[in-house]
Amino acid sequence: MSSTPERTGVDAASRWPLLLLLASAVSWLVVAGVLSLLAALQLREPAFMAGCPVLTYGHTAAIAETAFVYGWLANAGLALGLWVLGRLSGEPLRAQNWALAGCAFWNIGVTMAIVGIAAGDTTGFELLQLPGYVQPLMLFSYGAVAVSGILAWSGRLRRTPFVSHWYAAAALFTLPWVLSVAHVMLFRAPARGVMQEVVAAWFEQSAWWIWIAPLALSAAYYVVPKVTGKALYAYDYALVGFLSVLIVGGLTAGRHLVGGPFPAWLDSVAVVSGCLLFGHAIIVLLNLRLAFTGRGIALKFIAFGLLCYALLVIVDAATSFTGVAGQAGLTFLHEAQKQLALYGAATALFYGAIYYAVPRITGRAWLSGLLVRAHLFLAILGIVALVACLVLAACAQGRGLAQASVPFSQITASTRPWLAGACAAQAILLLANFLLAVNFFGTACELSKIAPKAEFADAAGSAAS
Amino acid sequence: MKSNFAFFIGVFVAVLISWGMLMGANVQLGSLAPYFDETDGTTHPEWMPGIAAQGQLVYRDLGCAACHTQQVRRDGMGPDLARGWGDRQSVARDYIYQPAPQLGNNRIGPDLTNLGDRKPSAPDSDDLLNLLYSGADGMPSYRFLFETRRIGAGAQPSDKALSLVGALRPPQGYEIVPTLEAESLVGYLVNLRTTYTYPEARPYVVPKGQNPEVKPAAAAAAGGAK
Repeated sequence: MSSTPERTGVDAASRWPLLLLLASAVSWLVVAGVLSLLAALQLREPAFMAGCPVLTYGHTAAIAETAFVYGWLANAGLALGLWVLGRLSGEPLRAQNWALAGCAFWNIGVTMAIVGIAAGDTTGFELLQLPGYVQPLMLFSYGAVAVSGILAWSGRLRRTPFVSHWYAAAALFTLPWVLSVAHVMLFRAPARGVMQEVVAAWFEQSAWWIWIAPLALSAAYYVVPKVTGKALYAYDYALVGFLSVLIVGGLTAGRHLVGGPFPAWLDSVAVVSGCLLFGHAIIVLLNLRLAFTGRGIALKFIAFGLLCYALLVIVDAATSFTGVAGQAGLTFLHEAQKQLALYGAATALFYGAIYYAVPRITGRAWLSGLLVRAHLFLAILGIVALVACLVLAACAQGRGLAQASVPFSQITASTRPWLAGACAAQAILLLANFLLAVNFFGTACELSKIAPKAEFADAAGSAAS
Repeated sequence: MKSNFAFFIGVFVAVLISWGMLMGANVQLGSLAPYFDETDGTTHPEWMPGIAAQGQLVYRDLGCAACHTQQVRRDGMGPDLARGWGDRQSVARDYIYQPAPQLGNNRIGPDLTNLGDRKPSAPDSDDLLNLLYSGADGMPSYRFLFETRRIGAGAQPSDKALSLVGALRPPQGYEIVPTLEAESLVGYLVNLRTTYTYPEARPYVVPKGQNPEVKPAAAAAAGGAK
């Protein structure tokens, strides 16, 4: 907001937990990239690695998703959430040991989950592929990291928090809430029959709308006014946007159940709540419309992420309708929506916030501006190509499935070219994320050298590179 | 928003609302009882045989549900019935005895709800074992579910040995036999059948040209039988 250097003593004093979380996140991102590429190759060429019992397609897809969601998104979201809350408190993060230990155990939990899935403890629930025995560890370690954030929240300087802090503080609380319920209803005292699918759908929608999306929005809501130096537009409505997604998020569960052996009212609730989310998306876009001025790398990523977010709200609502789901349900469109959410919306917003936050946390400029620009180009290209190829595969598949006379071999053949495109997109994304990792670890290693501190010319210069 | 306590209570209550939807569904689905057919004194669905129950766990552990669904959708939601995947739509009661229902969300391969009663012809155990061993167009082979064994001197080949042809045939003096995992998986697959038609699986179809709001008395009685 002012033209004084951004970096504060707060960032310097609380950098180790944040850097550990970010380093874990970026490492998992590369691991997830390798596994996603493997899964995409198996989808294109089923014989690939078929002789390996730990890497059936069902396993690789589940492992890749777990590494991406619980390795990358969770760690990055927690790092940015703690950073936002710490800056709010105006003093170094408290309970840093809790955050460090929590992060270590969280990563152990993710590793155990991946080994467990490879060994055959697949749950088959989307976004909840963690075997049941890992979940208590995940709950406690998430809670340990959250302690630091909650202390920063309760010790804040100003009584009235900003919208970014609502989202971050809420997300610290909602994952334990929904994960503990899902754990009991799916693993401790499993619900009967198809009720398990209802619980899993509720968890999937809740994990996205009230855990991952708030973490991503929190970062965006913090960075956009900082970079542009202007107040949020239509701030008064932000509270409505926040509350609406929190209340309605889990109610969209019926989107996954359309046409299946479930009560029809679940679907009706999903249609209504999916349409209510339009209001949420409009408020978010209005609040953050300055992101589309496109100054600097952070805003470019955030603008792209917000576009994906808005598109996701529309597509999600559309696929809740029975007429659409009859054609598009049970196809690759489901996967396309998931990638649009996890990669297009959440990951792009995290990228933007990371490019803004890391120089301030480390006090060092990004190692290479060229790598930053290459990452921007490759990441956006990869995400667009991945989602587009999956949508086109879904079109080919849906057309074939809609005609009873079309044999399955023909449907498989018609999706193959698009699945090959998805492989290429995953390869591009892997390369992009590798560049991010090189740049991040290079920048972090600069900390060991005694170097002049980065100069932040003015608040509007987003990346110091 | 100024009070910490009020904030977290607010978040808790907001999530509680969607959890209420879950509880509503649980009241409806959790109390589903098996259906007793008074005309022939049988109860449906039936429990799976032991080997099939084991096989369902193999099915889940291998992640088969990543490519195969187990839910037949009604007419108007795609031609599931015309493809011969089932004689009727799947209903919640079909799954009440399954410890881990595998409904799936992507039809990369065919639906398997009623595989054991597939029309026009259902595959038998040998067909499925051969398919698992050799793979198919679009489906990987699962050779790690089989072992290649030497046939001892003067010994009979196992009666479980696969009868393979062409390039897949094992060398002279060897045989390929399914492991317990493969046998239970196939035992599960051949037992997948939803042949009994529950009242709720026969939705009342409004005849063309008739006002759906005004049901004839007879149709209302048939449609309302629960």
